[in-house]
Amino acid sequence: VLGPGITAYLVLSAILFATGIVGVLMRRSPLIVLLALELMLNGGNLALIAFARQHGEGAGQIFALTVMVVAAAEVVIGLGLVVAMHRRKLALDVDEMTTLRG
Amino acid sequence: MIAASWICLFSPAAAVVVLALAGNRVTRRQAGLVTSGSVLVSFLCAAYVFGRLLTEDPEERTHASTLWTWLSAGDLRVGAEIWIDPLSVFMMLVVAGVGFLIVSYATGYMRDDDEERRYHAYKALFVFSMLLLVMAGNLLLLLAGWGMVGLSSYLLINFWWRRPQAVHAGKKAFILNAFGDATFVLALFLLVQQIGALDFGTVFSQAPGRIEEGSAVAVLIALGLLGGAVAKSAQVPLHTWLPDAMEGPTPVSALIHAATMVTAGVYLIARTNVLFELAPIVHDTAAVLGAVTILLAGLVALVQTDIKRVIAYSTMSQIGYMFVAVGLGAYGAGMFHLMTHAFFKALLFMTAGIVIHALAAEQDIRRMGGLGRELPLTYRLFLIGALSLAAIPPFSGFFSKDSILSSAIDAGALGISMWVFGILGATLTALYTFRLLFIVFFGRQDPYVKEHLHKERFEGRLAMVWPCVILAVLASVAGWLQVPGGWAAVDTWLDPTVESIPEATGGLLVFSVAASIVAALLGVTLAWKLYGARGEAPQRLRARFPQVATLLERKFYFDELYDRLFYAPASWLALVLQRRVERPFVLGSPEEVGEGTRSLARRVALTQSGLLRLYALAVASGLGVLVVVFLVVE
Repeated sequence: VLGPGITAYLVLSAILFATGIVGVLMRRSPLIVLLALELMLNGGNLALIAFARQHGEGAGQIFALTVMVVAAAEVVIGLGLVVAMHRRKLALDVDEMTTLRG
Repeated sequence: MIAASWICLFSPAAAVVVLALAGNRVTRRQAGLVTSGSVLVSFLCAAYVFGRLLTEDPEERTHASTLWTWLSAGDLRVGAEIWIDPLSVFMMLVVAGVGFLIVSYATGYMRDDDEERRYHAYKALFVFSMLLLVMAGNLLLLLAGWGMVGLSSYLLINFWWRRPQAVHAGKKAFILNAFGDATFVLALFLLVQQIGALDFGTVFSQAPGRIEEGSAVAVLIALGLLGGAVAKSAQVPLHTWLPDAMEGPTPVSALIHAATMVTAGVYLIARTNVLFELAPIVHDTAAVLGAVTILLAGLVALVQTDIKRVIAYSTMSQIGYMFVAVGLGAYGAGMFHLMTHAFFKALLFMTAGIVIHALAAEQDIRRMGGLGRELPLTYRLFLIGALSLAAIPPFSGFFSKDSILSSAIDAGALGISMWVFGILGATLTALYTFRLLFIVFFGRQDPYVKEHLHKERFEGRLAMVWPCVILAVLASVAGWLQVPGGWAAVDTWLDPTVESIPEATGGLLVFSVAASIVAALLGVTLAWKLYGARGEAPQRLRARFPQVATLLERKFYFDELYDRLFYAPASWLALVLQRRVERPFVLGSPEEVGEGTRSLARRVALTQSGLLRLYALAVASGLGVLVVVFLVVE
């Protein structure tokens, strides 16, 4: 197998995932939260592809493709919601969206 | 013949169904006709079956017929089957015959009652249940009839449900009968365990082989059956319901609480005589209980002031005679007395009903008196009933009672003591019967009578009078069926089914008959001295023995005793349970559960902050915990 070993990929993947988590937890703008979520998904994707390359199997790549499709769908809905919020002149702040409080 | 038997059984049931479904679409008069017509059909069928049996060989007179398997559990199969033999035909004739007369009487007595149709439907239900009881071909079906007569008796006792005493009396009757039903069921369980079948044929043929005579099992089975018989027939100590049952309409008292249902216990003992003979000690107990009842009920009857209650106590006392008879093994004599008693006691109740009707529903004999001049026909009919009940020859009660007494005197030491009880009872019977007669029909009229007496044509309604006349004829002549020392038609007829012990003969018989006549005449004379001739004798006696009088008026304190023993502890327990268990726990628990759920929900809801990032943090930290757990486990 050419190129760097699996460790490097996994470390990068973990960094991406951790960055994503921090983004989701710390930021209040829904756009940034969606972005951070995307980072987490791609961290996962990178790990999947790294394992696929290590084992020489295609299954990991198929998983990664599926995750990308789901991520695309999710972004469509998420951005749609953000646009809807903007149109109704709501503050773009996830902490303000507490209608479902018990 | 089998078809006729089934028609006999189901004809009153059909009447019940018709009346229940028709509701207001039949008139009251039609409802009465439906019931009496259906019972007449039953009687005609029973008579036809009787005629057919007569033409057969005496040993071949037992027939069984099964419609379908009614119940099956494991190896036990119980069919909807009837059993036609001399004993059941005898009972069918009495039940349907006397039943028809009383139901016809009731169409007159109950006319213009608010709920006449309901009454007639119940009455038909009763006749069906009673026929089921006597025709059943196995003990379980017999038990079904047994329970259903208890039910219809309950329904009819509190027929006038607006009267609290009537409702109370109905419940009392039902509960005491339920006690007997329970012991009956326990006996059946033992039989199933021992023999594995309940039909008469198998049980009676196999019981002597499989159950040892005098063994504990035999005693328990017989005791269970005896418990049922004692409760149903109102014998001491389960007798307290019968006097209260007089709250029901008078035809009900005549049919259910005099002529038929209360004699079911006698029928049961005669029917299951094989099982009783396996347990001689219980068999003797039946006789002893009967003898005790003769005296207790006879004594209490002396001081009662309600015309129907006097006759009710007399019924208990007369059934005591039947218990003595079947307890000693004189089944023929017992069944014979059952029949004549059905005639004369129904007659007495029905003439009492005419009196009650004529006096605007008054039942207290202290407000009667001098009615002989006003109601001469009723007086004569009542007199025939009274003479028969008091066993004055040649009326029917004389022959049947003497049949019992002359069987008893020749039946060993127990028999002789029973005979003494019987003779004492004969004096008492004559005394209380003629006390009633003299107080009601002789002497000075109470002011109440002058004010309220209203006579109809024939003194009562025609529908009420003609059945009484027929019963009076029967009460006068039916005794000749069985003449002590002469012939014994009833014994002969029943012998293939239940063999009776022989009656005394010769000098012993003459002695027994003479003693009973003397005893009865003594009672009548005493009654005349005390109540017929105007005088203060009863009051003087009462003043001299106040304790005795109170003891009798309180009916030997049986009601008070049962109140203390059973009712008071049960109601105390119920009160305690209500206060300590029901209110705090049962009634409190729904509120507690609801309140608990609500407060829990309030606390859980706090975690639902609506802050998206908090949820994400929860997910993330959960993930972190999982990672740590997996790593540690690895």
